[in-house]
Amino acid sequence: MTGAGGFVGVHVVERLLVHGYTEIRCFLRERGKAERLLQMAESHPGAQLDLCYGNLRSRSDCARAVADVSLVFHLAAGMKGSPAELFADSVVVARNLLEALESHDGVPARKTRVVLVSSFGVYGVVPLGRGARVDEETPLEDHPEWRDTYSHSKLRQEQLFREYQGRVGFELVVMRPGVIYGPGGGAFSSRVGIQIGPVFFHLGGSNLLPLAYVVNCAEAIVLAGTHPDSAGQAYNVHDDDLPTASRYLREYKRHVKRIRSIRLPYFITRILAWSLEKYHRRSQGQLPAIFTRYKVAAAWGGNTFSNAKLHSIGWHPLIAPSDAMAQTFEYLRGQEKKL
Amino acid sequence: MGLKIAIVGCGKIADAHAEEIKKIPSVQLAAVCDLEPIMAEQLAVRYAIPRWYSDVAAMLETERPDVLHITTPPQSHLSLTRQAVGAGCHIFLEKPVALHHSDAEAIIEAATGAGRKLAVNYWPRFEAPALELRRLYETGVLGLPIHVESFLGYDLGGEYGTALKRDPDHWVNRLPGKLFQNVLDHVLNKITPFLDDELPIIEAMAYRGNATGSESSAGGLLDELRVVMRGAQTSAYATFSAHARPLGQTLRVYGTKNTAFVDFMARTVVLERKQTFPSALGRMFPPFLVAKDYLRQGMKNVSSFSHARFHFFDGMRRLLTEFYLSIEQDTPPPIAYKEILRVSQMMDRIFEQVYPEVRA
Repeated sequence: MTGAGGFVGVHVVERLLVHGYTEIRCFLRERGKAERLLQMAESHPGAQLDLCYGNLRSRSDCARAVADVSLVFHLAAGMKGSPAELFADSVVVARNLLEALESHDGVPARKTRVVLVSSFGVYGVVPLGRGARVDEETPLEDHPEWRDTYSHSKLRQEQLFREYQGRVGFELVVMRPGVIYGPGGGAFSSRVGIQIGPVFFHLGGSNLLPLAYVVNCAEAIVLAGTHPDSAGQAYNVHDDDLPTASRYLREYKRHVKRIRSIRLPYFITRILAWSLEKYHRRSQGQLPAIFTRYKVAAAWGGNTFSNAKLHSIGWHPLIAPSDAMAQTFEYLRGQEKKL
Repeated sequence: MGLKIAIVGCGKIADAHAEEIKKIPSVQLAAVCDLEPIMAEQLAVRYAIPRWYSDVAAMLETERPDVLHITTPPQSHLSLTRQAVGAGCHIFLEKPVALHHSDAEAIIEAATGAGRKLAVNYWPRFEAPALELRRLYETGVLGLPIHVESFLGYDLGGEYGTALKRDPDHWVNRLPGKLFQNVLDHVLNKITPFLDDELPIIEAMAYRGNATGSESSAGGLLDELRVVMRGAQTSAYATFSAHARPLGQTLRVYGTKNTAFVDFMARTVVLERKQTFPSALGRMFPPFLVAKDYLRQGMKNVSSFSHARFHFFDGMRRLLTEFYLSIEQDTPPPIAYKEILRVSQMMDRIFEQVYPEVRA
């Protein structure tokens, strides 16, 4: 597993151990992330975690990561930084890993299963219009360069996995989580809104928030990743009974911290984005086009979501949505107290 | 049709080059290249650049650019410059120029020997405040420079700093002067116009800062640097700090007539004048005069903003425009080669003292 020390990765390791997979090579970039995995191994008798340190930008480290494995969970990805960093950490890294798989000794590549953790960001939701349902049949984004760089890099990463799958013939399972949240994660997805200075601009309004509690998400990744019928399939990952963005914000204010927020209706956000786009063009980028009408439509246009396919292979949330939110807010409250 | 431009090296800084080239209507950005095809592709897609390559020879052969922007790590600058001038290109080079002064000399020799022009991306020197300072100096408002202080703050928790801390093999960590070498050009090239000697006496010291409450450095990286320089008539301090807050980029020039203080972040130039009022009045008026200067500068910035001349890399656009013009009109490039070489020579001297083991 790549990204084994990350926010989602540690939970995937735990779910694998619970499901009886005891021999796991955990690929980590930072040694400091090993402690939690080692503690986890102690509470699972028979667990044999092979902690493997390195950087997936290095081809030789990728070769070490996939040597003699039959099932690869690829979770490592660039989450923040410059566009070049995001592409290097998500796409170049993916290509290195795939090349290592293609050429590695031991288990033949075509008998290997690869589970890619992708993102909701790969869907081309803008042409669908507001309120459209997003499921696994929704077309992928045609204009990733018009979206945020994270979504762009994740789409290119997924395309790369499909290209290599076609060439090498390994089994590919693609997981597309919505907004992963939980203890250890952040407070707000941009789908709820964005903080500018002291004010939180609430842009999500009554849109459904495709939350995936980190434990539930990890369970979905393990279940679909090991299910005999999942080869060649993609799965949306989110919890049931999704809250709206405004409900999430309200609950946050009630249980974590009072924050000053301003709600911007969608049409106002569109007008502001249109003005910014126009100004950005006229001024040759004096203010960055962080909002464009396309980006606004993708992030805050509002969709409904389906996880029926995930349910069809036997997944159900381990933690109920209300408990998941309570646990998350308890963690965030603790973080606020530390500050 | 104007000059045809290409970029080799599609990392973080290439974005700034692509962005600024595209703002200049008289040139066309035709192609980009990176050894890693995915990196070349992403830059081309995001900036709607017609073609991308993973082989620089193929790009030079097919595209025949007039100017090649080299935005790769400095380890490859010399070989790429030789290859590009051999293909007839003028060179716009990202700093740091080279690993060592001797390589910088070879780079300039390669370009001039082939009858091509070269400029280095010393963009802060072409920012509006730097141009204003130059005017004050050249018109004699400052008098003779006695002492210069150049300060640069750095955020180790930012995009660039985080990449260095996370990856011990990052190309910056493999430079002879490590982190300092990647940023020191911007500290020194602001001083050199005021230093009268070819090479001043240089005393340098570096250490790891551990200021409480600020971003701590990792992996033994030295992140605080102090340099004292003394020329025949002028002395200078150069300071690099990863811990001082707020992050600043400033220059103070003490002249025999007046002193100028330039803040490159706030884009202000303030003159600290010799007082002519007597006694207590001479102590009372200066804050008001300085306040008036700041107000004037603030209004100037508002005006620049309203005229869309307040971009982060405005200095780079100005530098590129002047460089391209120097090619079209066959005039001297905007930065004298001897300035570039003085900076690289000073950097060598500093790193010899700061990292003697690397030099050995």
